[in-house]
Amino acid sequence: MKPLNTTYNNAGKATGESGFEVSGLECIRQDIILFQDISFKLQSGDLLQVDGVNGSGKSSLIRILAGLMQPSAGEISWRGRNISECRYQYQKEMSYIGHLNGVKNTLTADENLEIMKALSGSPQSIPLSEVLAKLELGGMDGITLNRLSAGQKRRVGLARLLVTNSKIWLLDEPFTSLDSSGKSVIEQLIVEHSLQGGITVFSTHQPVEIEGCSIRHIHLGKK
Amino acid sequence: MWRDIILAFRHRAELFNPLIFFTMVIVLFPFAFGSDIGLLNRVMPGTIWITALLATNLSLEGIFRSDFDDGSIEQIILSGYPLTLLVIAKITAHWCLTGLPLIIIAMFTAFLLSFPEHVLQTLFFTLLLGTPVLSLIGAVAVALTIGLRSGGMLLSLIILPLYMPILIFAMLAVENKMAGMSVDAELYFLSGMLVLAMTLAPLATASSLRIRMS
Repeated sequence: MKPLNTTYNNAGKATGESGFEVSGLECIRQDIILFQDISFKLQSGDLLQVDGVNGSGKSSLIRILAGLMQPSAGEISWRGRNISECRYQYQKEMSYIGHLNGVKNTLTADENLEIMKALSGSPQSIPLSEVLAKLELGGMDGITLNRLSAGQKRRVGLARLLVTNSKIWLLDEPFTSLDSSGKSVIEQLIVEHSLQGGITVFSTHQPVEIEGCSIRHIHLGKK
Repeated sequence: MWRDIILAFRHRAELFNPLIFFTMVIVLFPFAFGSDIGLLNRVMPGTIWITALLATNLSLEGIFRSDFDDGSIEQIILSGYPLTLLVIAKITAHWCLTGLPLIIIAMFTAFLLSFPEHVLQTLFFTLLLGTPVLSLIGAVAVALTIGLRSGGMLLSLIILPLYMPILIFAMLAVENKMAGMSVDAELYFLSGMLVLAMTLAPLATASSLRIRMS
């Protein structure tokens, strides 16, 4: 598989400014402390895997990192600024894929990718057919997503990562409902992303085989 | 960008249901009241307006419901564009797909029921100014109630009282016209409401959505 020619808005390697920094993050839901005092720093090319049992707050952590939820305490900064201060700039450089794919079942894969591209506002131009081919979704012209399997829909959802060309990937259980070949395609994408200087934070409870770059881990819940 | 959202809406059959509902109810009234033109002329503007309120109410959930169910709303919130702008696009799409056809159907049925022409014109203006307000106010309420189990009922309870002022002024305008009086004041009032709703509703909708998602 050949790597896609991607260039980021800020292709430079990590300097002190360009990192993703989280300090003292705390999340309380329904009076239960899911996690507290989480701090880490991610630089270009870093990979972070969030582990933890069900209900330990993996999804909440990723939603907080995406800016969808407010943390009870703590701060997230990107390029030295709090993400709530530079919301749209941060969102332009970040892709979040949650449990839901965020795709329209009544549209075809192509049309869905068009919408993703329009929404992301990224000027880059990887041909959409190339994206589909990379995710092994070729040859499905004119088929709406409600006639595809759950795994295929997941792939269309994950295609957002390639279409939007963002620097930070926040993936919540990206491997759900994917078969083994789909899983290895995504693993490959994550490795390529990391080698190109991207940052990936993902949660999963499946064993991940990622070669070529090191993964950092963060454990949530009771140890 | 705007086109994408309209496109997404266009693929749904459920869009037509409120419109069919609207037509059906309006057509039912002459059957219920008989063919007395004088009576019908007095009752029909109100009927058309109330039915328009109910039809809008039925269609409102469609603004965000499917986006909420499939996770698109998260992606819309996280897109690189200001959420308020995207909300405006969605509301515009909603109005184009319900308000606009509703006006056309209303005009057509009123014409069939041999409405006096000058009243028809006033009815048209009230609907033209009023239905966008319905979509705008509705969007705020939908954003607030989205994802709740009994959201549909709650939505009606929140929205219908808020629609009252529009109904009152629209009806006043039509009645004045029938009595041969000026309708400028009422139409200005409706325009004022439209401007107010256009300015505030998208902001309120955007923040309600953010609150609902967290």
